[in-house]
Amino acid sequence: MRLRWKRLGENTLFLSPSIVLTAALGVYPLIWMLRYMFYDYAGYGSPLFVGLDNFRRLLRDTLFWESVGNTFIYAGGKLLLTLPLSLLLAVLLNGKLRGGNLLRGIYFMPTIISTAVISVVFYTIFNSYNGMVNAALMKLHLVSQPIDWLGPKHAMLTVVLVAVWGAVGNYMLLFLAGLQSIPNDLYESAAIDGANAGRRFWNITLPMLAPVAQLVVMLAIIASLKGYESIMLITEGGPIGKTEVMYLYLYKLLFPVSTGSPVEQQLGYGSAVGFATAVIVGTITGLYFLLSRRMNKLD
Amino acid sequence: MRRKWAGIGLSLAVAIGLAGCGGNDNNSGSSNSGATNGQSAENTTTPPAESNKPPVQLKYWTDDRHDQEYIKDMINKFNETNEDNIQVELTVMSENYTQSVDIAFSSKQAPDVLRLKSGNTAGFVKKGYLEPIDGFLTDDIKAEFGKLILDDVNRFDGKVYSLANTGNTLRLVYNKDIFAKAGIANPPASLQEMVDDAKKITEVGKADGIYGFALNFKSPKSAFDRSIREILSLSGYQGLGFDLKTGQFDFAPYSQVIEYFKTMYEDGSILPGAESLDIDPLRAQFAAGKIGMYLSFSTEPGVYQDQFPTDIDWAGALAPTLDGQIKGTSEIVSAGTWLGISAQSANKEAAWTFMKYMYGDEILKTYHEKGFGLAVVPSIVEQAGNPEINGMEGFLVGEHDSLWPVSPSVTPEGANYGDAFFKYMLAGGDLAAITQDLNARYNAALSQAVEKGEVAVTPNPAFDPANPQG
Repeated sequence: MRLRWKRLGENTLFLSPSIVLTAALGVYPLIWMLRYMFYDYAGYGSPLFVGLDNFRRLLRDTLFWESVGNTFIYAGGKLLLTLPLSLLLAVLLNGKLRGGNLLRGIYFMPTIISTAVISVVFYTIFNSYNGMVNAALMKLHLVSQPIDWLGPKHAMLTVVLVAVWGAVGNYMLLFLAGLQSIPNDLYESAAIDGANAGRRFWNITLPMLAPVAQLVVMLAIIASLKGYESIMLITEGGPIGKTEVMYLYLYKLLFPVSTGSPVEQQLGYGSAVGFATAVIVGTITGLYFLLSRRMNKLD
Repeated sequence: MRRKWAGIGLSLAVAIGLAGCGGNDNNSGSSNSGATNGQSAENTTTPPAESNKPPVQLKYWTDDRHDQEYIKDMINKFNETNEDNIQVELTVMSENYTQSVDIAFSSKQAPDVLRLKSGNTAGFVKKGYLEPIDGFLTDDIKAEFGKLILDDVNRFDGKVYSLANTGNTLRLVYNKDIFAKAGIANPPASLQEMVDDAKKITEVGKADGIYGFALNFKSPKSAFDRSIREILSLSGYQGLGFDLKTGQFDFAPYSQVIEYFKTMYEDGSILPGAESLDIDPLRAQFAAGKIGMYLSFSTEPGVYQDQFPTDIDWAGALAPTLDGQIKGTSEIVSAGTWLGISAQSANKEAAWTFMKYMYGDEILKTYHEKGFGLAVVPSIVEQAGNPEINGMEGFLVGEHDSLWPVSPSVTPEGANYGDAFFKYMLAGGDLAAITQDLNARYNAALSQAVEKGEVAVTPNPAFDPANPQG
């Protein structure tokens, strides 16, 4: 009996830091948000209970729904480019490639570089008036006028490219870890049976990688739907809302001081938007998990 | 194996280097504060009076960086010479000043004295951060600053929280060399002239990457608040879309200005990429001689002296008006506040002693003469010499400048006027409908704010834009 109490005490002691941190940094803010989404609150004075008003406003808030649409374009573009590219790189680097470790380091580097640095660098590369991309294109006589990469027509493409550049190395590394867990004798047996490289990839690599891929794709979906940092720094959601994704829209409601003249914080409405965005991301992730269940079952 | 470690080592070295570059801007604040701490500590060793007692420690927070060397010197002088055994520690914030103040107050670690600006004072008062200073104001101080004690600027609900020091004028900033090259003798007096000049400059300069006009359209509201605001106030209208005569928002005059901006965009007279341009990259391009003109605050001369030194011949001039006629006055902005005392301070008397020292004539006079801001306190304006900064002469307060009554700050549902009008500028649409929609949404937000007691509006049918303070 005494031993059980002692164990319980030890377990509680070891778990307490994570329980306290989860409660303070995860559960408390969540409860705070769930409460304030029913209030009109600007961060001072008494919060005013408004019932479902914030959600009614959300339904007619065209800016929010435009940002949801932009998020799908941004996330879709990022996923479509990032996942195949990172898988391709992982497969290439999984082989015996000269300088493979150095290349892994180089490809992974964007993951650990500050978003602020990445954004500034890409702004100087893509801006219309003296950006390097336009300078190169004009020097090669591929275009006669500078392309407005950060203008209304191309800004989304540009921020997607920046996001892809920043994410490929990360997913490449996760795919690589999955590839290295595939037993080598499977490939050897297949080779003896006469399977070529393409067939080995299709019949061994992809199925064996499926459980890892399921997780990687899920992480990629969540990260793509939630990503906004580089957009905030490069275009601030503009021009004319063309790159305004939903988490950036949410950020501006909660921390509006970053843009020009001051506008009041909208903590109540921001909480409702935060809840809606969480529901959207959660639903998409849940649907994906449901549809991809087979990937986790090796036949 | 060695190659593997070399690869990992190289990657880590570069990554750490780059990650280091992206450090939080607040580091600069900390380092400044650190340096000042050092000086403060040094000074505390030999306080001039009551050396046996520990000194009264005050914290002063500001987000002004342009004047920090001067302010640091003044604080050191105060620490060395004050007879009340007060030591002030300066902290210069860089980004997110308001959020840092919020956090400091919610964690009971607020500074004793704060830098107040027109954009944050009302919010700080509503949040209960500030101590009224009425009890400290002597007759002399009231006489000196009295004309600049204004409702909803530094006085809220009859209580005074700060005093004026400097303000910003707004001007058209233009490159004289480019204007001369395009055969334009004078800066534009009307918006039509501005459109024509921008077109001419672009025609002459485009081959060299020179364009007629630019603004920091990455944040359209910030761009319009430094340009259209001044165009309108000089034309006889309040510059943020508020009609002081009716006490309602009316964006009709605003929409007239937008038409001219749209024409410049369609003409191709605006610097390509201005849609994503921040103010500093814009200034860099202007300093490089690539922009004919833009509109901005009287902080620009200091910027071109220190931040982007330039050889180009440039000047500031009054903003153009709707029809070339001056029917109003150019609004002096960000005037009326400078320092304030925290309601949480345990040493409010000492905080006032420091504040009074900072508001001394000599400090305010030198502040103006060094070009950190344009003095608006009449007694200082009388005795101070002109700042010796290239370009400042065009920004000095003159016969066409004045303070305007404050317009209510409201947050409407949907897009703000900056985003809505910028969208029209780029993508077109029905301008009358956009204006009507803005009027409806801003006036609805105003009604709600009035109902909640957050703002008070008193229509003034007799309001005269040529004499806004009456």
